[in-house]
Amino acid sequence: MKYFEMTPEERNRFLWWAIPALVLGVLVSFLIQKPIIGIIRLNDAINAYTAKDLITQINYAREHPEIHAVVLILDSPGGTVVDTEAVYMELSRLRETKPVVTWVSGMAASGAYYLSSGTDYVVAVPSSEVGNVGVIGYLPPTPFVFEDIISTGPYKLWGSPRDTTVREIEMLKQGFYQAVKLGRGDRLKIGPDILLRGQIWPASEALRLGLIDQLGSETDAYNRAAGMAHIWNYNIKDLYNVAVVIPSTTNAYGFFLQTKDGVTLPYPSRPGLYMLYIPQLPTEQK
Amino acid sequence: MNRKTIYIILALFILPIALRFAWYFPGFDLPRKIATPDYANFKMPEAPISTPQPEDIKQKGGVVLLDYSHINQFKPSEFQAMTDALTRRGARVEINSDATQLESQLKYASSYVVISPSANFTADEIRIILDFERRGGRLAFFTDATRGLVYTDYASGSPATLPDTDIVNPLLESFGISFNSDYLYNLTDNEGNFRNVIFEQFGKSDLTWGLKKITLYGAHSLKTNSGLALLIGSDKTLSSGTDATPGNDPKQGWAASALSADGNVLAVGDFTFMQTPYNTVADNNTLVNNIADFLVGGTRQITLTDFPFLFKGSTTSIFLTSNVQMTAEMTGALSRLQAELKTLDVDMKISETAPDGGDTIVLGTFSPSDDLTKYTDAFNLKLEDTSEFVEVPQFGKLGRAGNGILLFSAGKNSNTIVLLADTETDLTTLMDILSGGNLSGCVLQNNIGVCSIGSGEKFSTTPAPAGEGTPTPTPTGAG
Repeated sequence: MKYFEMTPEERNRFLWWAIPALVLGVLVSFLIQKPIIGIIRLNDAINAYTAKDLITQINYAREHPEIHAVVLILDSPGGTVVDTEAVYMELSRLRETKPVVTWVSGMAASGAYYLSSGTDYVVAVPSSEVGNVGVIGYLPPTPFVFEDIISTGPYKLWGSPRDTTVREIEMLKQGFYQAVKLGRGDRLKIGPDILLRGQIWPASEALRLGLIDQLGSETDAYNRAAGMAHIWNYNIKDLYNVAVVIPSTTNAYGFFLQTKDGVTLPYPSRPGLYMLYIPQLPTEQK
Repeated sequence: MNRKTIYIILALFILPIALRFAWYFPGFDLPRKIATPDYANFKMPEAPISTPQPEDIKQKGGVVLLDYSHINQFKPSEFQAMTDALTRRGARVEINSDATQLESQLKYASSYVVISPSANFTADEIRIILDFERRGGRLAFFTDATRGLVYTDYASGSPATLPDTDIVNPLLESFGISFNSDYLYNLTDNEGNFRNVIFEQFGKSDLTWGLKKITLYGAHSLKTNSGLALLIGSDKTLSSGTDATPGNDPKQGWAASALSADGNVLAVGDFTFMQTPYNTVADNNTLVNNIADFLVGGTRQITLTDFPFLFKGSTTSIFLTSNVQMTAEMTGALSRLQAELKTLDVDMKISETAPDGGDTIVLGTFSPSDDLTKYTDAFNLKLEDTSEFVEVPQFGKLGRAGNGILLFSAGKNSNTIVLLADTETDLTTLMDILSGGNLSGCVLQNNIGVCSIGSGEKFSTTPAPAGEGTPTPTPTGAG
């Protein structure tokens, strides 16, 4: 204790420096922001508008250091191939610096599962639906010529031969499979012979097959994201509220087909290539 | 201040920062590289190169009858590749779009082709088709998993399909073959899509000659317990019905195509493979040619019921035996017969002497004559002037009055039919029955037919009114 013995004069001089240093330290410590786990939600099909919103939020998360992890909350049947791949690639960039955990609240089918396979960890509600790996597409019509429409090539009007479209879909499927294989790695317990059947599984079965990592709640997903980001005592922030400046609506786009009496069908309204799960219509929607 | 004091002051400055940092961040990770699919190196699968086989075409001719009366889910233009192959073989494709004409059209057809029907075959049609096959006619059934009739189930509101297999199976099962209401797929070794299945294992048959690789596009599987499996899938080819291999072991009788035990019935679970451009993939075109050979390669037994399609040449001779007089009634009957033959592009000529060869119609009475014996001996027919009966093998004794007899003999290059009756008047009636093309009023047994012509007084104990038993001529498919 002799070591700390000071004369009154020395004590005053010490306190003169020590108290401001402590106060300054406290003040400086407040520059260290409380870590945030960002939430990105997808409750719709993946289309040009929802993809734009997702990418805006992903970029926001990547550019803001206070966001240390992201939880992607999915309830989606998938969507267009091009938009799915666009979001997937942005997610991959985000994961280079911050962990991303998926929580499947209802469905992560097809393109939505493509996204989840590109995250670090997948948590799902036991009865949620997961999988449907594959691509669907509308074949262009067999080319023919019109009397009054002149084009400069046989596929100017039709895009591509039917057979080419079939093979293009097969190529896109390979991309999907590669994404799942890379994302899941050794955790995936099934081969392409099972995975590429396009089956959709309940999460409990998907866990056994290695398509997801855990059955659990939203909180489980946050805790996992926090653990992966090495953070404690975090805040949760819905990035849609802070990142998306102009809210977009899919109704204006009309991604899904609608009947004349306003019933929305699960079929896309435009021909194209999709990573989309199309469930059977319930009776009342016939 | 000494150094010690400075350290303490610095520690007091750092402490709250460190505490807050530790409160939030127990650890850290360095940036990492995330692997993504190598999109740039993905390539579209290419179709197997076609290796055309040199065709050894034999001009066999014939007519291939194409079913189009059962709401068949195809367009005749989709049959064009096969039509071309048949044309190269001198055959002609004819469409049956009216089921009531099936029987008359099958009289001259060499084979009958059914593609993806959606309407059931009636019991009568099945009888006609089975009879056609029994006499050596060839049948080919093509179903296609992409051609089922789609409809809305109003009970559930869900889309449902009526598979073409359900329509074809009642017919095919008679030959020990039945299609499954499934489609075949292969997720790992396919032709551009999981439902485009490659076949490299074949049953030994003329139909699989020259085949090394065949691709079918959405094919039903089938099973056969007595026939020959022709297109046999790999172990990775699965059935949508079970998501398991449908048993590609030929011993189990599963395949995508099969030939019946008698070699006259072909069943193929796909139709797309013969359409352009799919017929140009792998050895599909060779398979099309092989099937064309099959369709024109049958040896159908011609019987009396096939009249007027009994003749092979372009001219038929009419020979009146010495005991027949050319009456005015007979001249009329001959003109009607000539008109009937003309509809088939067959010319008729009267021959004063027994023709040496060629298609011939012989007209005679029950009175024996030397020039008639030549034709009746082969049938062991006993004709006597004094008897009121004629003894006909397989029929026994027939009354001369009111009965007419038809004798048919098929040669290698020409056929002969002999018409016998008691009188010229009866003979005229018999000729009209023949011209009408309707032998339903006759009893037919092998190559002998006995027709009630309901007239004749010489030996009749209960004379029938004149004209009774003369059926109304029914238009034939050709006429």
